[in-house]
Amino acid sequence: MLQFQNSVTLCLPIGTVERILMRRKSIIRLENVSTTYEGERRPAIKKVNLILSENELLYVVGPNAAGKTTLLETINGLLQSSGGHVFVFGLDVRRHGRKVRRELGYVPQDFMVNPGEPYTALDIVMMGRYGKIGILHKPDKEDFEKAMEAMKHLGIDELADRSVGKLSGGQQQKVMIARALVKDPKVLLLDEPFSNLDPDSRERIPKLIARIHGKGVAIIIVTHDVSRILKQCRRVVVMKDGRIVADDNPERALTVFESPLISHPTEAIP
Amino acid sequence: MIWLELAIMQRALIGCMLAGFLSGLVGVFAVRMKLSAIGYSMSHGAFAGAALGVATSVNPLVTAMLFSSATALFIGPVADKARLHADTVTSIVFPLNMALAFVFLTLSPQVGLTSEVASVLWGSVISMSNSDVVYLTTLCAVTLVLVQFFWKELFAIMFNRKMAEADGIDTKPFVYFIIFLIGVVVTFSLKLVGGLLIFALLFNPASSALQFFHDMKKIVLVSPIIGAATCVAGLMLSLFLDLPVGSCIVLVSTFAFAFAVLLSPKRKRGEVIV
Repeated sequence: MLQFQNSVTLCLPIGTVERILMRRKSIIRLENVSTTYEGERRPAIKKVNLILSENELLYVVGPNAAGKTTLLETINGLLQSSGGHVFVFGLDVRRHGRKVRRELGYVPQDFMVNPGEPYTALDIVMMGRYGKIGILHKPDKEDFEKAMEAMKHLGIDELADRSVGKLSGGQQQKVMIARALVKDPKVLLLDEPFSNLDPDSRERIPKLIARIHGKGVAIIIVTHDVSRILKQCRRVVVMKDGRIVADDNPERALTVFESPLISHPTEAIP
Repeated sequence: MIWLELAIMQRALIGCMLAGFLSGLVGVFAVRMKLSAIGYSMSHGAFAGAALGVATSVNPLVTAMLFSSATALFIGPVADKARLHADTVTSIVFPLNMALAFVFLTLSPQVGLTSEVASVLWGSVISMSNSDVVYLTTLCAVTLVLVQFFWKELFAIMFNRKMAEADGIDTKPFVYFIIFLIGVVVTFSLKLVGGLLIFALLFNPASSALQFFHDMKKIVLVSPIIGAATCVAGLMLSLFLDLPVGSCIVLVSTFAFAFAVLLSPKRKRGEVIV
């Protein structure tokens, strides 16, 4: 029930106001979204509804093949949804995918570069700026400085001129994170960002993520390693078989995640 | 070297250098964007088109261009729409183009290996005209300017097309631009090595340059130089041994690639070269 200053009283169903306010502040909105891979019959994600607000930190957890990566790539439009609507910054991703992706930082899962690849670490990080710079414009000193700054945050500035394929898995992971950060994204989509990292980086990267989140960037982190959920996190989504089965605070969501039906489905069957 | 004073040989030499330079440059993009199958089919499409030109007394350059563009269309957008894998379409289009080429050559008014038919099959730099040299020079200049303009997009796509899309780059026009360039380069280089061997001209220099460098900018600079050098060396070899120019160019180019693999510091370190 809403009571305005002029004493007009409106009767609305419970939760409507919260939903309206949420929609207003939302920067990512998925409405009944399904995504099916080419040649597949079964959708990888099914009728997913999700809202992400400004400056929100969301973890997506779930077993293998739950649809976590598909969800991220449907949000940034690298995969076209086969049903429903995806809105990012209020724009339909189907129609404005490219524009949206210029403001989204994306770190893919297990992105490993071949040792023979003829690119330096700095080359890869600079590529993150290319979409934003726009066609026919060349990267300038500011772009270069932003790239070096992003690399410095991740402690890889000394590797700038090294061939990216010759770096360790953890160093390559940091190069990809720097590539996502260099475009000053409004939203960061991180797919298993803690895999391949050495012990020192496992401490450093979460701190960096917390700092970026503190600057007002909304972040979605896909992970299977629930032990690495940051204390700043207020919301965890659990996925299974392409559906969201829980969307709650970390404590309650992780209870669902750790239940035998989600984590060890075969063991749960008598 | 009295023969160098002959205008016909000067044209052949310049044509060799330009075609070698151009195919070495475009080849880097074709190899890195994994367009080898498309390039392979397009070169044979150009061969079939040139054969049709000879049979119908139409400028073979025009028909070669039409056929290679049609092949690119079939393998690219049409295969996408029909939801066919590029490999499947390539396997069908390649023998189709070869069959059409031989049918057209048989239909030629002067049945048999006339000089024109032979030039389509094996290439003949001697038949390179002034206008061919002008076309190749213009094409070199235009390609260099476009590569300079769109370098950052091409650079990102060559690394990983999906990540380039994730950064908001519209990759499709650039991939189609490179496919179009392959078609044009193949068409204008047909006179040099002929329809059967032109594929080597496109891919050997880039594959050789990739053996040595860890810097893509160096590869883009060196591959055209290898292309031009092997074409000129092949021309010289053919003149000294009185063998077909196209075959000599491909032999030199393949030898250069084998030499590059033997010396490759990357291979010695066990790196996979792509």
